[in-house]
Amino acid sequence: MSTEHKNAGQNMTRAKILIVDDDPDLRKALKLRLRANHYDTVHACDGYSAIAMAQKEHPHLIILDLGLPAGDGYVVLERLQDSDALSSIPVIVLTARDPQTNEERSFQSGATAFFQKPVDNNELLEVIQASLQATSARANRLPS
Amino acid sequence: MSDPTTHVLLIEDNPGDADLVRLRLVQGKTPVEVDCVNRLADGLTALTAKTPSVVLLDLNLPDSHGSETFRKVLEKAPGVPVVILSGQEDEALAIKAMHQGVQDYLVKGDITSKHLERAMRYAVERQALLRSLEMSRKQQLEFKNQFLSHVSHELRTPLTCIHQYVTLMADGLAGPVSPEQHDHLRTVLKSVNQLHAMIRDLLEAARAEAGKIRVERRCIALVDLIEHAVAMLQPLAQEKRVGLEMGMDTRVPLVLADPDRILEVLVNLIDNAIKFTPPDGSVMVKACLAEADTEFAYVSVTDTGRGISPEAIPLIFERLYQDPNTSDGNRSGLGLGLYIAKELVNLHGGRIWVASQPGSGATFSFTLPLYSLAKLLTPVIVHNGQLRDNFILVRVTLTPFSRPPRGNWRDTCRRCLELLERCVYIDKDLVLPAMGTAGPAETFFVVASTDLERSNIMMNRIRGQLEACPGLKDGGTLQVNAEAVVLPSSQKARSGAEQVREVADRVTEMIMANLGCKQNFTANGD
Repeated sequence: MSTEHKNAGQNMTRAKILIVDDDPDLRKALKLRLRANHYDTVHACDGYSAIAMAQKEHPHLIILDLGLPAGDGYVVLERLQDSDALSSIPVIVLTARDPQTNEERSFQSGATAFFQKPVDNNELLEVIQASLQATSARANRLPS
Repeated sequence: MSDPTTHVLLIEDNPGDADLVRLRLVQGKTPVEVDCVNRLADGLTALTAKTPSVVLLDLNLPDSHGSETFRKVLEKAPGVPVVILSGQEDEALAIKAMHQGVQDYLVKGDITSKHLERAMRYAVERQALLRSLEMSRKQQLEFKNQFLSHVSHELRTPLTCIHQYVTLMADGLAGPVSPEQHDHLRTVLKSVNQLHAMIRDLLEAARAEAGKIRVERRCIALVDLIEHAVAMLQPLAQEKRVGLEMGMDTRVPLVLADPDRILEVLVNLIDNAIKFTPPDGSVMVKACLAEADTEFAYVSVTDTGRGISPEAIPLIFERLYQDPNTSDGNRSGLGLGLYIAKELVNLHGGRIWVASQPGSGATFSFTLPLYSLAKLLTPVIVHNGQLRDNFILVRVTLTPFSRPPRGNWRDTCRRCLELLERCVYIDKDLVLPAMGTAGPAETFFVVASTDLERSNIMMNRIRGQLEACPGLKDGGTLQVNAEAVVLPSSQKARSGAEQVREVADRVTEMIMANLGCKQNFTANGD
């Protein structure tokens, strides 16, 4: 089990990840896992605060649950897409819902990647890293 | 019912009988409207044009006799109640018809209007009952699937939490862990993974039952899949001190199958074999061409476990079957793995079975259709027994713009393939199945019966269609090019089958050259 992945912006400012999930225990576990891998995290527990947090914090990446109170994951994805300032943030959907009915819809709504819970941590960390690199290559706006 | 009129379609060729029935119908209390035809063909046409409330059917017509008559009517209009008008001599046949979906029969000499009215009313009612039964069966199935989907979702949430915190501890992210504690955490994790697999199987089995599993056929090297599956399970085998080996035929078969699904089948069979083999035993995975049927590849997984009892053999692929004799501490799971494996193999057109001598192991075998380019090509490159004149190999390459691809790249490739299939003439061009396991760059090949000059039109059509595909538009690049398939001049003298094989060989060579060839696509010896 490899525990640590290189953070894309390790030598510079740490990349900031917004974790959106209504389960506080899972939010905490993800926070611990991501911080151990040199990412900063901010958190939101519902759709409404996810948008507010994204606007306030401008995270480099968002991990988004689909089943959320106050505006589900799809609403969040659409609101992010509608905003010029936020539409380029990569969003990784992490949900317990069935991929057969949700994966394609997530991508159509603007998600970068889709994982069903429970997720393999190494896979998740790899995709986070690759997504951050891709955005930094595209827009050159990542920690610099 | 808003319309009180009973619409009767009377199929009867004897004018006297027809008139009599019509008279009896009119004499009854319910308002009726009668259409009468005297041939089965006309009856079938009438059924297409308008759905009657009930069909009154004579079995012996000028263009059809006996059981064939009602079978054709039931096939044409499965939801319409049918009452047979039989003669004294074919009453036995009429009774038999009732077992096959006909609602009732009346013997012609005895028909009174009361009888007739009653028979028709019952027929209509019974048919309605059948329909609602069928509907509620479908609703129940749907409900069950929704329920399973809901349960799976609810189970996943706490499971995710357990998984996350156990891995946090095991990875030492919550403070130092002693070797013994680490061992315990690994045991927990193993159980978590088992639970996860069960939840997955539950949904998959429900999906299989509802016919909702999608299979994407590609041309794949069976050996790659087997190597992959064996590599995945080698650690488990080593942990149990079970030898896990492969024995491949030198003519490694290429098959037409969904790599993800077949990997699932292989992993399932090998995992089972390891589970039921005692330490120091062995598991052998073999692949070769099927001896009995040259169109199939044959895969087998043999273990040296305690075998399967003769009573269990016919039941082992059934849903929820569990070996009652499991007593060696193996957790047997839900008993869905083999059921899912069977469904997946069947979806590919293959067959799965088991052979075992109790006490000396078991062999699970399955077959998969071979990939044969010649067989795929024959219907499009041969026209009226003659090989067409020119062939072009068109290559279409899709490359994602970023890595990892943004959005669902596989979905984009799937959609592009569908579009590609719309760009060709199905009677003379062929889009070949994609090759190998799906990777980031996807290459499709089309064999087109045209010349290089005219192929430009096709290529432009392909470019136009695919460039507009949403997934490709914002996340990928498209390359389309074509090359003429030049055949050796000797082809004229050969037989049709040999000519086709030559084209297939030539196309294969070109594809291999195009792909910088890793695999030998002629291996199946078409």
